[in-house]
Amino acid sequence: MASSPGPLPPAEVVRRLRAQFGEDLLDAAEVHGEAVVKVSPARYRELVQMLRDDPELGFDFLDFVSAVDRKEEGLELVVQLYSTAHRHRARVKVGCDTEEPRVPTIHDLYPGANWHERETWELFGIDFEGHPQLVKLILPEPFEGHPLRKDFVLMSRVAKPWPGEEKAEGEEGE
Amino acid sequence: MGLIERTGLPAIQPVKFILNWGRKYSLWAMNFGLACCAIELIATSMPKHDFIRLGVIPFAHGPRQADLLVVAGTVTDKMAPALKRVYDQMPDPKYVISFGSCSNCGGPYWDSYSVTKGVDQIIPVDVFVPGCPPRPEALLQGIIKLQEKIAGEDIREKWSGKLTGAPASR
Repeated sequence: MASSPGPLPPAEVVRRLRAQFGEDLLDAAEVHGEAVVKVSPARYRELVQMLRDDPELGFDFLDFVSAVDRKEEGLELVVQLYSTAHRHRARVKVGCDTEEPRVPTIHDLYPGANWHERETWELFGIDFEGHPQLVKLILPEPFEGHPLRKDFVLMSRVAKPWPGEEKAEGEEGE
Repeated sequence: MGLIERTGLPAIQPVKFILNWGRKYSLWAMNFGLACCAIELIATSMPKHDFIRLGVIPFAHGPRQADLLVVAGTVTDKMAPALKRVYDQMPDPKYVISFGSCSNCGGPYWDSYSVTKGVDQIIPVDVFVPGCPPRPEALLQGIIKLQEKIAGEDIREKWSGKLTGAPASR
């Protein structure tokens, strides 16, 4: 930690993970100069632990935990990590089951993940196995549903459609 | 206290005028700044716009010392109970200015899952100030509108609870 070895190239981060996880590393890419890897839920915890504990990777800081709703492809957990010693970043993505999204918690590896996982749990409905206190953090207590999922119904838009709807559909081109 | 509630004194025109005149030029404002509107509210209290010259005193140390509640910013459903509580803690006679589009009607967050679409669903509002955020001048005009409303008020009616702050013209 005393000497700063400088950032590891993203390709090198991916190479080390590939060597350890092989087929379980579902996808790897370099985006904006940082490694973006996708891993299976079964080995997600193990991968995060390696990123944290390997001295040359040294991802000692958890930036955030969030998720993306990819509709048919299911929910995707996103974990952003940073190394204060090496000044490099990595993003870990985990594809979740649509019906019953479930991933292991990493709050014991990074205590900061505790509230991030609570927020992701209430907004996306992803269950974090082993989390000590999955209760609502930012939503009011009686709130029902997971508002950041794409299929969440916005009552105001039911009463009055969003004025930009047509343009958005044309732009998407799905 | 008893004089106002039990006698016909406040109905006498000069007494009514003096009572209302006293109240409209000594409004202790309770700051309920929640978003960017709060910056404009604070700017209004600063020397350039200076709402002290209209008799609005910034800012009461707590709701129990305040006469005027300025809701400046985005009220969420989670914040709404706190707002109601602050309003309930304020002693009568009390007035509310809803400052900015978010507190008026939800503003740009009209379709949000978490934003309260209008604080008048929770507490009675006297004056709505439109804008996103409104300029300090708009708040000054809102205060003048409120003072016009106070000037025409019957204090006994206000304290009887029959007047729960019907929305003013703006």
